[in-house]
Amino acid sequence: MPWLFIAPITLLHLVVVVGPSVAGMYYSLTEWSGIGKAEFVGLDNFRELFFEDRNFLLALRHNLMWLAFFLTVPFAMALAVATLLAQVRIGSMAIRTAFFIPYVLPSVVVASIWRMLLDPRLGFGVALENWGIKGLAYPYLGDKNTALAAIAFVDNWHWWGFLMILFLTAMQSIPSDLYDAAKIDGANRWQEFLHVTLPGIRPTVFFMLMMTAIWSFLVFDYVWILTHGGPAGSSEMLATYLYKQAFQRFEAGYGAAIGITMSAIAGVMATIFVLLRRRGWDV
Amino acid sequence: MFKKKGRSRLIPNYIILILLVCLALGPILVLFFNSLKSFTDLGTNPIGLPRVILIENYVNAWVQGEFATTLTNSLIYVVFTVAGVLVLGGMAAYSLARLDPPGDNFYLVYMLTLSTLPFWLYVIPLFIMWRNLGLLDTRAGLIIMYIAFNSPFAIFLLRSFLMSLSRDFEDAARVDGANEWQVMTRVVIPIMWPAFLTVGLVVGLGVWSEFQAALIFLQRDELMPVTTSYYNFTQRFGRDWSLTSAGAVMMIAPVLALFLALQRQFVTGLTQGGIKL
Amino acid sequence: MYTGLKRLVPLPLILGLLMAACAPVAGPQSGEDGAAGKVQITFWQGTSVTADCIIDVAVNSFNEQSDTIEVIAEKKANMMDAVRPALAAGAGPDIVPTHGPSFVAEFALADQLMPLDDLADQFGWEELFVPWALNLGRVQGTLYSLPQELETMVLFYNKTVFEEHGWEPPTTMDELEVLSAQIQEAGIIPFAGGAADAIDNNEFFFTEFVNKIAGPEKVYQALKGELSWTDPDFVTAIETLNRMFQAGHWMGSPENFLVTDFSIARAAFATGEAAMTMEGTWIYDSLVGEMFTEDSEHGNDWDWVPMPSLSGEAMFNIGTGSTQSINRNSEHPEAAAEFLTHYNSPEIQARLLVECQSATAPIHLDPSQLEGVEPRMARLLSDFAKASAEGNYGYTTWSFFPPKTNQVIYEEIEKVWVGDMTPEEYMAEVDAAFQEELAAGETLVIPDR
Repeated sequence: MPWLFIAPITLLHLVVVVGPSVAGMYYSLTEWSGIGKAEFVGLDNFRELFFEDRNFLLALRHNLMWLAFFLTVPFAMALAVATLLAQVRIGSMAIRTAFFIPYVLPSVVVASIWRMLLDPRLGFGVALENWGIKGLAYPYLGDKNTALAAIAFVDNWHWWGFLMILFLTAMQSIPSDLYDAAKIDGANRWQEFLHVTLPGIRPTVFFMLMMTAIWSFLVFDYVWILTHGGPAGSSEMLATYLYKQAFQRFEAGYGAAIGITMSAIAGVMATIFVLLRRRGWDV
Repeated sequence: MFKKKGRSRLIPNYIILILLVCLALGPILVLFFNSLKSFTDLGTNPIGLPRVILIENYVNAWVQGEFATTLTNSLIYVVFTVAGVLVLGGMAAYSLARLDPPGDNFYLVYMLTLSTLPFWLYVIPLFIMWRNLGLLDTRAGLIIMYIAFNSPFAIFLLRSFLMSLSRDFEDAARVDGANEWQVMTRVVIPIMWPAFLTVGLVVGLGVWSEFQAALIFLQRDELMPVTTSYYNFTQRFGRDWSLTSAGAVMMIAPVLALFLALQRQFVTGLTQGGIKL
Repeated sequence: MYTGLKRLVPLPLILGLLMAACAPVAGPQSGEDGAAGKVQITFWQGTSVTADCIIDVAVNSFNEQSDTIEVIAEKKANMMDAVRPALAAGAGPDIVPTHGPSFVAEFALADQLMPLDDLADQFGWEELFVPWALNLGRVQGTLYSLPQELETMVLFYNKTVFEEHGWEPPTTMDELEVLSAQIQEAGIIPFAGGAADAIDNNEFFFTEFVNKIAGPEKVYQALKGELSWTDPDFVTAIETLNRMFQAGHWMGSPENFLVTDFSIARAAFATGEAAMTMEGTWIYDSLVGEMFTEDSEHGNDWDWVPMPSLSGEAMFNIGTGSTQSINRNSEHPEAAAEFLTHYNSPEIQARLLVECQSATAPIHLDPSQLEGVEPRMARLLSDFAKASAEGNYGYTTWSFFPPKTNQVIYEEIEKVWVGDMTPEEYMAEVDAAFQEELAAGETLVIPDR
């Protein structure tokens, strides 16, 4: 009887997620167009990916850069702003709401707004020029040196506010007598942050670092909508590369191998955090 | 409570916070302004207030972007996914929290581990399977997927909410001779509403914004949710930003209205684990 | 809370949604017999005005005269983008459109299309189409597609802007480069262009520069496998292209080019912000229908010259703009073939050109049927026909190059533009892809010169 209640959703999850995941592992070992028979080729796809496919290695590098960005910039912003916001009372709720709004917008809309603002002919740079500030009207998404950074900026624009709210919520659960004690000890604001606030919200920060590490290897939306991975592959990510291989070039086996690689990396990230936790880190 | 000295100490805080609020809200305001401009106005005045307000953009976008169809589609996906997740996830959560099935700990670990499997691992085989089952390019196919994606989160949240409630009411009902089904429908569900609302909001928002699964699993224009349809719309009218901005505003208006009305639930809901992968 | 929510979600709304969710939607596949007992086949078109016209002229006329078949025209916002995933899904329309033979080869090799040889015999397609064009639809000897939209590329220029500045349209490559610099000096963008929304448009530049600079004879030899793509003349062609790109002749800088959409580029040309554009006959409809209409505010006018070549001799690159195939999974291939025969008949094709400004299929067409075509366009079509009849034509990549090579051509060229690759390295990649496809027998049928 208890299992009867659990069965339907479990079955659905098995069919949609678990079964296909196992199948994906098999298909990654085949040469397969997605139609007809899959031909078993062993580890050929992986050999090609890691030793021959420069575009794949480039995408992998971009994902690592993406990871480095998202493990630092949004966290620094969110921690700093949460600390500032924790101290204010008047207007606090309104400010919080404002920071949270970008997070609830669909990615297509966020991308659409920023495609407009980053345009060299109609974007914010042109508006600034009208006010006398020159030199910022630039095709940020068309330059191989700035395209990836521009996409990361846009993604972060909608993301960091959410992170900030998480940290703020965690900060508010820190007992206030800890702060009082710090004050008695003569701690300044920085020392207070370092010795009271940061330890207090460490579990939240670590959890979010872990989620960011896993998630950053799966990013697709913003890259696809803003540049399709271009120009010249300078913003290609593993997910956009997989999409192109599997759904545009009929290389489903090869695409599956990319999917396995992405999952393996995400799995390694998760394992690292689990091990750190076992070692006694209060994660 | 507020000493004068304390307040002036906070002036730098306010300056930084207000600048960042401008960064968060400014682009959305620009989107709104641009949605009211003519194309030539936008060309010479890309950021500022519209010189002449053009409501026609909304009418044109509504018709050309087929928002009547796609907003309905999105609403269908949201309503059925949320309903499915609440019913099926709620049943599982109730069982786990109250009926103490043997092996429930094992099950929780299973769900926790497998819910982190990334979309890109199983998308290709799932695509092939959906094709073979005739579920590809159907509403039902997409809804089933969405329910499966969102259920682990719902089960965890509903289960922990239930665990925090006392069993007294249920026991009283049992003493009165109610069977398990009656206990669940008459007693448990009514007190569960706040948790249902949170899960519904989080899942609903996720489905409303969802892009990649819809991009891959739907082909027919008439089934597209508003996200993918809007994406095609922007590709087609790339140049006409006043038109696409009007479309974007129509698409986010319901979300913003709901968000502002139910802010508190939204924030608690999303911070309780609505971190979507 | 409970009762509050109950009031929030009225029952009629839920019922309405439930009905909407269950309501049948027109199927993507050839349907069951329609209401009038007709076999239904699906045919995709875009959402432009031209597409409406094509549906009106070609589809409606067919449905009126057929008692057994009904063609359902479905309008798709991003028709060509939608084809790939639809085919990958084993779905898609009965009549599959593609951008050109190169794409057909890709789909055919992935076993997505139906062989057409038997249907060609049955419906007399060998007699209907110009032989070289029909042969382009063969993949490894089997016919998979019918050619559409006979086309070429030329240099369109903004006549008003040219006259204002006293510029003369160029005839040689050197003149083109000098003129581009002059135009840029005058504060005008020399070329409108952009491929931000469709990376395959980059193939235009390879087509024009390689054929015009290395010459079609060499391209022919290379396509036959008798000459390597690393030949210095090919490299020179890409170097010239890149030099002009780096000079900012397209939209001001390579970076600007790379964020420009097709529609933005066309608007820049029409308004005179850019003076020229390397485009094809396919922009006929938007040229006269949107960009330079009589009531357009910018007051500009347009004209064309053949894209300059090294020697200055007029030469046209030949191509077919799109193709039509039959879906592997179509339930009614014969009905689809019957519609295709109607669609490609001289009568319908002439009407498409005159009434819809849509290019004709490469079929045998009587000149008298072309009355009513815009004079500049008529001149273009007759010059083009004359030059290619004399065998003086070059090769568009999307019609004559095998699929993987073509993909390398339009994807990797961006790496040259952004400085990640030299023209030599680029041509070496093109050659590597080509040799692989040559060895696998996946090259297309190249007509003898």
